[in-house]
Amino acid sequence: METKQVTDLPRFARISAIALAAAVSLGTAQAAEPIKIGVAEALSGGAAQYGISIRNGFQMAADEINAAGGVNGSKIELVIEDEQGKKEEAINAFKKLIFQDKALMLFGPTLSNSAQAADPIAQASKIVVFGTSNTADGITSIGDHVFRNSVTEADVLPVTLRTAAKVARISKVAVLYGNDDVFTKSGYDNFRKALDDQKMPVTTTETFAKGDVDFKAQLTKIKATNPDAIVLSALLAEGAPIMVQARQLGLNVPFIGGNGMNSVKVFDLAKGASDGLWVGSPWSIENRTPQNTSFIIAYTKKYSSPPDQFAAQAYDAMHIATEALKKVRLSGDLAKDREAVQAALPAVKWTGATGPFAFRRATDKAGKPAGYDANQVPIVSTTRGKNYEIEK
Amino acid sequence: MLEQQLFNALSLGCVYALFALGFTLIFGVLGVVNLSQGAVFMLGAYAALTAINQLHAPLWAAIAFAFAFSGLVGLLIDRLLLKPLRKRDAPHLIPMIATIGLGLAMNSLVQGLFGAENQRFPSEVLPQDSLQIAGISVTVLELGIILVSFVLMTVLMLTLNRTQLGRALRAIAESPKAARLLGINVDGLFMLTSFVAAGLGGIAGVLIGLYSNALFPLMGQPMLHKGIAVIILGGMGDIRGAMLAGLFLGFAEVLSVAYIGSDMRDAVAFGLLFLVLLVRPKGLFGTVQERKV
Amino acid sequence: MIEFLDNFWSVYSNLVLSLGTNALLALSIYLTLSCGMLAMANAAFMGIGAYTSSILTMNYGWPFPLAIAAGMAAPALVAFIIGRPTLRLSGVYLAMATLAFGEVVRLCILRAEGLTGGALGLNGIPQLTQWWHVLLAVVLVLFLLARLRRSKIGRAFEAIKEDETAAGLMGIDVNGHKMLAFALGAAIAGLGGVLNAHLTFFIGPQEFGFDRGVEILTMTILGGINSLFGPVIGAAIITLLPELLRSFKDYRAVANGLILVLIVLFLPKGLWNPAWMRKVAGLAKRGAK
Repeated sequence: METKQVTDLPRFARISAIALAAAVSLGTAQAAEPIKIGVAEALSGGAAQYGISIRNGFQMAADEINAAGGVNGSKIELVIEDEQGKKEEAINAFKKLIFQDKALMLFGPTLSNSAQAADPIAQASKIVVFGTSNTADGITSIGDHVFRNSVTEADVLPVTLRTAAKVARISKVAVLYGNDDVFTKSGYDNFRKALDDQKMPVTTTETFAKGDVDFKAQLTKIKATNPDAIVLSALLAEGAPIMVQARQLGLNVPFIGGNGMNSVKVFDLAKGASDGLWVGSPWSIENRTPQNTSFIIAYTKKYSSPPDQFAAQAYDAMHIATEALKKVRLSGDLAKDREAVQAALPAVKWTGATGPFAFRRATDKAGKPAGYDANQVPIVSTTRGKNYEIEK
Repeated sequence: MLEQQLFNALSLGCVYALFALGFTLIFGVLGVVNLSQGAVFMLGAYAALTAINQLHAPLWAAIAFAFAFSGLVGLLIDRLLLKPLRKRDAPHLIPMIATIGLGLAMNSLVQGLFGAENQRFPSEVLPQDSLQIAGISVTVLELGIILVSFVLMTVLMLTLNRTQLGRALRAIAESPKAARLLGINVDGLFMLTSFVAAGLGGIAGVLIGLYSNALFPLMGQPMLHKGIAVIILGGMGDIRGAMLAGLFLGFAEVLSVAYIGSDMRDAVAFGLLFLVLLVRPKGLFGTVQERKV
Repeated sequence: MIEFLDNFWSVYSNLVLSLGTNALLALSIYLTLSCGMLAMANAAFMGIGAYTSSILTMNYGWPFPLAIAAGMAAPALVAFIIGRPTLRLSGVYLAMATLAFGEVVRLCILRAEGLTGGALGLNGIPQLTQWWHVLLAVVLVLFLLARLRRSKIGRAFEAIKEDETAAGLMGIDVNGHKMLAFALGAAIAGLGGVLNAHLTFFIGPQEFGFDRGVEILTMTILGGINSLFGPVIGAAIITLLPELLRSFKDYRAVANGLILVLIVLFLPKGLWNPAWMRKVAGLAKRGAK
């Protein structure tokens, strides 16, 4: 009696069968475990326009990375939570992502205030939190698990000021800023320090509040003091009407703006009055590097509108994180893996849509090393016609 | 600089008055602080924007459309929300809360539909340049706003004081129960008032949207806060008071920016508000008595 | 089981504790409402309590219990000062005046940059609030208010709420009682502010303005003011609503607003209404027969 068994098959077939089985099992084992990355951004409420841009940037980067095979064969899975731009919700979202979804690392939140409230939780839970839009103080000083690639205004504004002063021959400025919003107020603080450092005289300082529609009173007063330029710390919602109303009053001097003014929407919202705006930022839509150009084309195609700085920084952040994740061998022990990510991230260098990027160690209140800030050179541009033109 | 600032104050004051008119009308006649008026204001702006962008309507038609659309929303709010609450004689905080909820829902709905980002009316609908008249810069829009608010106020005042309709409305403002006993069609007039007041809010939305070049779902909220200040200063429910108080607030704000300092602006405005409430709660210009329930 | 509870607490501790502090705030409004006053300044009092205590613990290292005491005393003092002139007003005027006062407080916080951090807020508040602080606070306040309700003072409140003039004619010190309700309400709101600030590391002026005032008011009215549990239930619902509505994503706020409208329309006395519940229970009993 003859029974045919596998061992009787010719040797070649045997080996192939085993090899095939091994390959299949390896392949399915690799593809089985996606890498969960938590994303907590403001998708509703007052900060939604930024949060949605940021989410888009993350999504596009994750899709690209997954299409190219993922990270060491594992796909990235984004677990997205809406923190509504409220600090309590940011805390709740973080807790859910950390303890319930068991994310490997976190991105977000959108606003600096939310970060100040929620990042300590990430630090205490020993998980990396990577902010792409937090620019205020007191964030990376929380601890060594807090990272950000958003260049702070403390780094950008002095460069903007110096470049504008030199090129446009400015010898005295007026200052106009929003005094009830964290972003515009801290922008003002940074501007003022830069103005002091560069010994630039200020003819008058005026303020407005969020939601104002009429700025003629302040602009009329500014006009009477005859400045060479106006330093403007505002978000676009107020900044665009400010530019329009200034031109209507016959105030035609250049504006030197902070991060909030860096958006192509200024050409639409301040149509006819958008010339002469100087902004510095880590990203410019006019920066024609190969990485940036392909990013802009892909984003515009996918989301039917051009990207802004928030999307660009989120996009780069995902890639930066991926570079770190590639170096991590996932052991299955969540705490250990989270620590491994924290260890691998600081050394990452990446050239993306925002240009060459590296991290720079920050210090805490006591001066000891804490989290990681962005180390990037800002680009200074000025508006002319329908475009930003980069000033060297 | 003074002349320019005075003109600035005039146009800002008319902006405030424009919003406050609808708001105070509802309080005067219906006795409700309708905190969804901010959302109605915003809806008018978005309605006009849609008419211009999708239907290629000229500006005057878009404004008419905004009036009708907002008016309709106001009417629905009255029928579906305020009327049932009136029927069960709810304490007046209840309709206020309900209108807050409604305003919240409408703001978020618009954000879901149109997105959170700022939009603007196309610059072609109105000439943007400013004219130089007697040394001050004046835009066509500012003149338009000033004109519209004065015309509206005059029309409303004439209606209230010289027509039978006006007498009926004033009777209701005094006491709805008594008015009903007098045979006045209180319910019908509530409907009319809701429609007109909301429609006025919608027009205000379009004009202010044009003025500020900024349309966004939450645009009604800051206006609402100013509106509350205006109706307190002007006497709640008083049309002429609202107009005068709007102008007063505009002047107070602009002149405090010009001569005290722009960061004192809100402090001055609220200081005045408090003073008025303590010394003369009926408002600086108020002539309306508190409603007898 | 232990692990589940542990995990639950990790994820939801903040939510539960926020529920507690919101309950305190709702109860503070309930107190003023029970005396017939629609005071909308409690968000501002919360802010005063939050800032006072945070400055003391952060910059001067005060021990928590003392900071809590200061965080309750400061708003009560302010209430006493502004109460004198404003409590004369009635009805909607009082509501509007207190609303305006709230804005004034926010502006003061913005201006006093050196002390309060201005628009940038106070960051790095020590996280001193423990779960038992919140629980103790809520229980104590409920106990206090329950005793107050049954006492002579509580009856005076009731009388003033019904008809102020008549109460005055009956010999009740109307102004004194109103001031008591106002100041005590301010102290409770301050307590809520202290506990909340030491829970979230960070406070900013925008958190104690109109929006917060409206939120607290909604909680109270939602739950109903016929019993002490009403505001607590209202606070629970408003606190949990964003969490429950998470799946609505972008349209969450729409659902939030609509729910408010629906409850106001169909459950006018608020959710916790003993009369309504008895009726429902009665119907159920009849159905069972």
